[in-house]
Amino acid sequence: MQRSLTVRLALLFALLSLVLLGTVGTGLYHELEKQLALRDDAALVTRVDQIRTLLQDANSMDLIRNKPRLFENMLGNPEALLVLRFSGEKPLIEVNPGKVPIPEVPPVSSTERLTLSAVQHTVDAHDVPFIAVAADAHTTESKHSLQIIAGRVMSERTRLLESYRDRIVLLVVAGTGLAALAAFFLVRLGLRPLRKLASQTESIGITNLNARVALANAPSELSPLVDAFNAMLDRLATGFAQMSQLTADMAHDLRTPIANLLGQTEVALGIARSAEYYEALIASNFEEFQRLSRMMDNMLFLARSEHPEATIEHAHLDVASEYERVTDYFEGLAAERSLQFEANGYGTVWADPVLLRRALANLVANAVQYADPDTTILLGCEADGSGTRIWVENTGDAIPQSKLPRLFDRFYRADTARRGSSQSSGMGLSIVRTIMTLHRGRSTAFSTAGQTRFILFFPACRTNS
Amino acid sequence: MRILVVEDEPKAGDYLKNGLTESGYVVDLARNGVDGLHLAREFAYDAVVLDVMMPQMDGWQMLEKLREKSDTPVLFLTARGELQDRIKGLDLGADDYLVKPFSFAELLARLRTLMRRGPVRQDEMLSVGDLQVDVVKRKVTRAGTRITLTNKEFALLQFFMANQGQVLSRTLIASRVWDMNFDSDTNVVDVAVRRLRQKVEDPFDSLSVIHTVRGVGYRCELET
Repeated sequence: MQRSLTVRLALLFALLSLVLLGTVGTGLYHELEKQLALRDDAALVTRVDQIRTLLQDANSMDLIRNKPRLFENMLGNPEALLVLRFSGEKPLIEVNPGKVPIPEVPPVSSTERLTLSAVQHTVDAHDVPFIAVAADAHTTESKHSLQIIAGRVMSERTRLLESYRDRIVLLVVAGTGLAALAAFFLVRLGLRPLRKLASQTESIGITNLNARVALANAPSELSPLVDAFNAMLDRLATGFAQMSQLTADMAHDLRTPIANLLGQTEVALGIARSAEYYEALIASNFEEFQRLSRMMDNMLFLARSEHPEATIEHAHLDVASEYERVTDYFEGLAAERSLQFEANGYGTVWADPVLLRRALANLVANAVQYADPDTTILLGCEADGSGTRIWVENTGDAIPQSKLPRLFDRFYRADTARRGSSQSSGMGLSIVRTIMTLHRGRSTAFSTAGQTRFILFFPACRTNS
Repeated sequence: MRILVVEDEPKAGDYLKNGLTESGYVVDLARNGVDGLHLAREFAYDAVVLDVMMPQMDGWQMLEKLREKSDTPVLFLTARGELQDRIKGLDLGADDYLVKPFSFAELLARLRTLMRRGPVRQDEMLSVGDLQVDVVKRKVTRAGTRITLTNKEFALLQFFMANQGQVLSRTLIASRVWDMNFDSDTNVVDVAVRRLRQKVEDPFDSLSVIHTVRGVGYRCELET
């Protein structure tokens, strides 16, 4: 399941609020609990201290013996416990409305001062905190000291703390909920440009690839995304335009041989013909089929080469012997047009042998086709640290400057009259360019004053092998 | 020589059978891999031409099963020229391959190579009619007259004479004589053959030795 950024952020924020509020609440609770305990302990100690002082008065003892009810009434609190006894004797007074067992607390001797440390903390049978203090007191009537045991069950305090805790929990929960809600709306608000971006993107399709994303007042964090996105659209639009152009060109180029095939076959089938006629027809069809097959091979070659995973072999190739091979190949064709080859320059190129030969053959084929008769085709080579430049130059009609950049485009022909179009596929130079791209090299063309030169640059070998 | 063709495409199967029969082979045609495998196991063939894309049992499966028992040379035909495809076929034990569409002359040339046992013996002297080529001395004579050829013209003539009677496609010639292993858009081969004929035929009254096979390529033989 896809998780919403808004929900995620709101939840995170809620969690953060919960932890913060929870910590503060718990801290406050414990602080209050501590203060209350301190206050209760002090109250108990004060009470015992007061009774101790009271007992030093002779009258008090009488009062205890004669009117114990008075004490009981005075301490008529169900939480309180008070026992006065001479050790080992029956208590003089036992006020114990809560019926708690008399705790065993080591008494503070009568000469010692009572402090908070004398308070013993325990819990009763119901887990309610119980505090108790025991102290000896001098009396006027006996040599023995009278033992005072005082205690208190903290049920009321427990109730108070419980309700305090409940309230804190309630507040923490409510605060967390509020924080989550606030975060949710804030994040939604903050992400609004993103939703706008999404809806704009959604509306861009093949039919309107030229549309661009435009966010008014886009936050600075989003502008790089918008820019990158638009740049991507630019590239896609270019690629798409090229591809549709390519498909159109290809269909157009396929149309010529197919039209020939259909036409001549239809005419031939119209009436009975001689065997020679059929033979000629089939031979002509065969030529057209070969042309189609060649075009298809070239298309496939280009498509595969442009595949990002296309790889090539590399070898150090001697330029002079490559020139010899290609001039040997075109020797007859050049001689037909009274053309000479002149190969100069020595060096090596780091290239795929088959691809290099193919590129070179395409350039030389062009040169032979377009050179003026009785001229020389120059093959040159020049190497430096960065790589090797090889070139093919012919004398002939210059190619207009405006047409140079498009020369390497697929199906592009500088001469629109399509000289020799039955032979040439219009893909020769685009194959050259593809081959150079595969080598991470460059192909360039210059044409001035009757000299046309095609240069191939092969980068130097980068490995030491 | 007996050849088994395994091809499911009806037209392709028919023309392969016709073409190979006319080239002097005894040809059996199987229309699917199962029949093909059965025939290949039943009879001794000198070579098998195997289409890869077939229903039921494809060429790969058939090749794998065939190789369990037989080492008959297998040339496979594939419509996809991808490297992995070719490697797969050769890994499975195929001896050679052709990518569709291919030239029939090329198929014949490959089959001849496959069926030729042992190393290729190169003739030292080649002759057709009164035209003689001394391969060792690189000397060409016709009716006793010495003919001077350039290196490539000599290589072309040698290739023709070593493959007398066979139709040689332009692609095959470009590949074997110039080592140009791609279809180029030029008519280099035609021009080269024309120039060769100007040297070995035109000056002589004898019969022509190199003939154009319209649309396809050339054939070297003494016209009768």
